[in-house]
Amino acid sequence: MALGKTEEKVGGPGMNKTPLIRLTDVSKVYHLESGDFTALNHISLDINEGEFVALMGPSGSGKSTMMNQLGILDVPTTGELYIAGKNVAHMTNLERTHMRRDMIGYVFQKFYLIPLLSAFENVEYPLILKYKKRDTTGKADAVLKSVGFDKEMSAHRPTQLSGGEQQRVAIARALVNEPKILLCDEPTGNLDRKTGFQIMDLLVGLHGEGKTVILVTHDPKIAEYAKRTVTLEDGRIVES
Amino acid sequence: MRDIFFDLSVRSVKLNFLRSLLASIGIVIGVVAISSMGMLGTNMQLQVKDQLSTGANTLVITSDAVRIGLPGSNPTASSSSSGITKTQLLKIKQSAGTGNTVIPLYRTSTEFTLGSVNGRSSVYGIAPNDVTSFLTIDNGTNLEGVNDALVGSTIATNFNLKLGSRIHIGKANETESRPTVRIVGILKARGMTSDNVNADNAIIVSRDWYTAEYGGEDQYNQVNVIVKNIDTLSEVKTTIDAKVNTDPKTPVIRIQDASSRLSSITSTLSTMTTFILAIGGISLLVAATSIFNVMMMSVNERIQEIGILLSIGTERGEVRRMFLYEALILGILGGGVGGLCSLVIGYSVVSAMIGTTAYFFLPESIFYIPAGMIIGMCVCVVSGLYPAWRASNMDPIDALRSE
Repeated sequence: MALGKTEEKVGGPGMNKTPLIRLTDVSKVYHLESGDFTALNHISLDINEGEFVALMGPSGSGKSTMMNQLGILDVPTTGELYIAGKNVAHMTNLERTHMRRDMIGYVFQKFYLIPLLSAFENVEYPLILKYKKRDTTGKADAVLKSVGFDKEMSAHRPTQLSGGEQQRVAIARALVNEPKILLCDEPTGNLDRKTGFQIMDLLVGLHGEGKTVILVTHDPKIAEYAKRTVTLEDGRIVES
Repeated sequence: MRDIFFDLSVRSVKLNFLRSLLASIGIVIGVVAISSMGMLGTNMQLQVKDQLSTGANTLVITSDAVRIGLPGSNPTASSSSSGITKTQLLKIKQSAGTGNTVIPLYRTSTEFTLGSVNGRSSVYGIAPNDVTSFLTIDNGTNLEGVNDALVGSTIATNFNLKLGSRIHIGKANETESRPTVRIVGILKARGMTSDNVNADNAIIVSRDWYTAEYGGEDQYNQVNVIVKNIDTLSEVKTTIDAKVNTDPKTPVIRIQDASSRLSSITSTLSTMTTFILAIGGISLLVAATSIFNVMMMSVNERIQEIGILLSIGTERGEVRRMFLYEALILGILGGGVGGLCSLVIGYSVVSAMIGTTAYFFLPESIFYIPAGMIIGMCVCVVSGLYPAWRASNMDPIDALRSE
């Protein structure tokens, strides 16, 4: 199935590399009762496969809006966003859902685990969405093991886990479908410093395995883990 | 393998079990109302049909309505009639053909006294040899002497009549001496029949006794033709009609068969059943509102969860399915319990209202239990449609921000 319009190769003579993510003159405008609010203002950015990018900026700078665009939870008001060469604006709702399921892993600040499911079932859930059947391959177990969960802990509900443990489960859930892109929105924001660094070590390890990691943070110490920092201010990129 | 969305729905129902249970009680009540009312109506219809099938092979012939002639004419000169005449009876016998039984009978209504107790009943004058053609003597013998009488089962029970008891016929305050009959037999109960002879509440006397007391010899109130082969009922009816009602504009007799009476009664009962089913349906409407309310609460409480599901790649159709499953679970819960309750309550209602449960387990009656359950489940699912649609169409970003 062709997902949207395919982007042309980028770069000048001699360059033949298509960025995994490309934003071209992307703006996002919210129409509020008080007037229009521009959350992203003519953003152009390329992120290549395997990069570890930190998105930084003060509150209201447009970091979360940018993450929503990258996670295809939203579409630009103007401009074009390509992911793996596909223009997301030209995709149907269902195609965007499938791309989100298959290509993107999302780690949230508040973990956002499904409270009715156990840790194992939370991790198994994306596999069920993709393959329409329960996991019989042991993949969910293996991913949970890779983030330090044993069988006994996997049976616990989210409310029975600590913040750090919940975030590990969230990372396992994000990874289980082997996405190309891992989006982490303030993944250490709700954790103590020590646990936060442990989570960051985990993300660094995943980047080492070839994952493209995009991290939103306002903590410079956390941003130091990334190889590249993009700073936003008032919806514009001020440093990249 | 169980569907994960079904699992999520089951867990959500378990988490809010009390609320779900209360919402389901509405469905239970609705299912019980529909099933019980439906079964009650059907059992009534079945009973009436069954009773009317006794005598279904009988043509009931009565004198046509008395005509008073054209305006200004002399009523006595018109074709007014007070009964079926001897000539008409002869024609009926001739056209009924061999093998079919023609029973002329007299009928009136009278008061009577037994000891010091007064009562009222029909009195039929029937030839003794005709009695056993369509009535069964449960206890005693047939009419023999001129003062002999048979009584119906209802009268016998209500007045505690015994064989040999004497009944004074006529009003109790009359000064002149009243005729007396002696009970020689008690008839078997017939219930409602289509031959227009309500023998259960009647005194049967000989034709001679009847005409001696009431007069009107050879002016029969009714003639019943018992047709041996029911398939020829219509044919016999047409033949008699052609023979006796020679002028179609001024018919002298009216011929009714059981089917027209049966269809008239069952049509009335069917309308009644539909009406009481509609009343039962109102309770399901109330239940639907309750289910809708619970489903909306469930959606509103789980907005963030819906946001999570959508943001990690759950299709909108899958979210919709999850909430429809939840509504279906409430329906299964309410429908299942409602079905069981319907069995018990329906049985009790039918037993109390009709007096018999002989028809309760017949397919056309018991059918209302699964039908009520399915309707209850459908009502739940329909009530869950809008909440499910609302959940599936949420903006994942807004949903995730919700606290």
